[in-house]
Amino acid sequence: MAGAESDSQFQFTGIKKYLNSYTLTGRMNCVLAAYGGIALLVLYSKLRSKKNPAVKAS
Amino acid sequence: MNENLFASFITPTMMGLPVVIIIIMLPSMMLTSSNRLLSNRFHTFQQWVVKMITKQMMSIHSPKGQTWCLMLVSLIIFIGSTNLLGLLPHTFTPTTQLSMNLGMAIPLWAGTVFLGFRHKMKSTLAHFLPQGTPIPLIPMLIIIETISLFIQPMALAVRLTANITAGHLLMHLIGGATLVLTSISPPTAMITFIILVLLTILEFAVALIQAYVFTLLVSLYLHDNT
Repeated sequence: MAGAESDSQFQFTGIKKYLNSYTLTGRMNCVLAAYGGIALLVLYSKLRSKKNPAVKAS
Repeated sequence: MNENLFASFITPTMMGLPVVIIIIMLPSMMLTSSNRLLSNRFHTFQQWVVKMITKQMMSIHSPKGQTWCLMLVSLIIFIGSTNLLGLLPHTFTPTTQLSMNLGMAIPLWAGTVFLGFRHKMKSTLAHFLPQGTPIPLIPMLIIIETISLFIQPMALAVRLTANITAGHLLMHLIGGATLVLTSISPPTAMITFIILVLLTILEFAVALIQAYVFTLLVSLYLHDNT
């Protein structure tokens, strides 16, 4: 599997430097961002359901 | 007939005590070790088998992965010998129990995953996103890869359970059919008997192949994470 030696052949700029599907770091950051996004969604829906107890009752 | 079909898969007890522990230990009790440099045929054959498995399975691994050599060789010998002993009539096969196979699959898989996270965190996390994935597909693919990771131990256990259980059930059914057909139509009984013999030969192969597949997959997960 390609490792650190293949990361240097890709020259990204801007946000693509940190979030891309080619370099090891980019892929790791995409995965962490995806998990973070899912965690935030779950947290948001839990807080929203706590805020509106009438929604639960109906 | 229906009740008899699944009777061989019930965990055996003797006077209320579970003998399944002795049954699980039986293959290891049969495969003894020798303290001599040049031992008898049986031990020499055992050593040859272990050497062949070690060379075949462990050559692809890094030194860190090769520390699992004892575990993997023991695993393949245990599953292979348990499956083969289960082909004897009226025996109980522990590998037909999903509980036992999950008990083998989950700790081994989890061990490889934790090893990967411990020693190669970046590479292990990056593994969840195949290289070159188009941007719109990234979130969906990460979720799919995560689900496929967690399905791995389930697939390992269920594959072994289903293969061994199905084989034993088929042998039981075809054997029963042969017996019944003997009095009704001997030529048909002869055909079913030939099918039974072929199936038994297949089951011998399946017993060894399933042991190899289980261990090979654990070895591959280990290779991915070391």
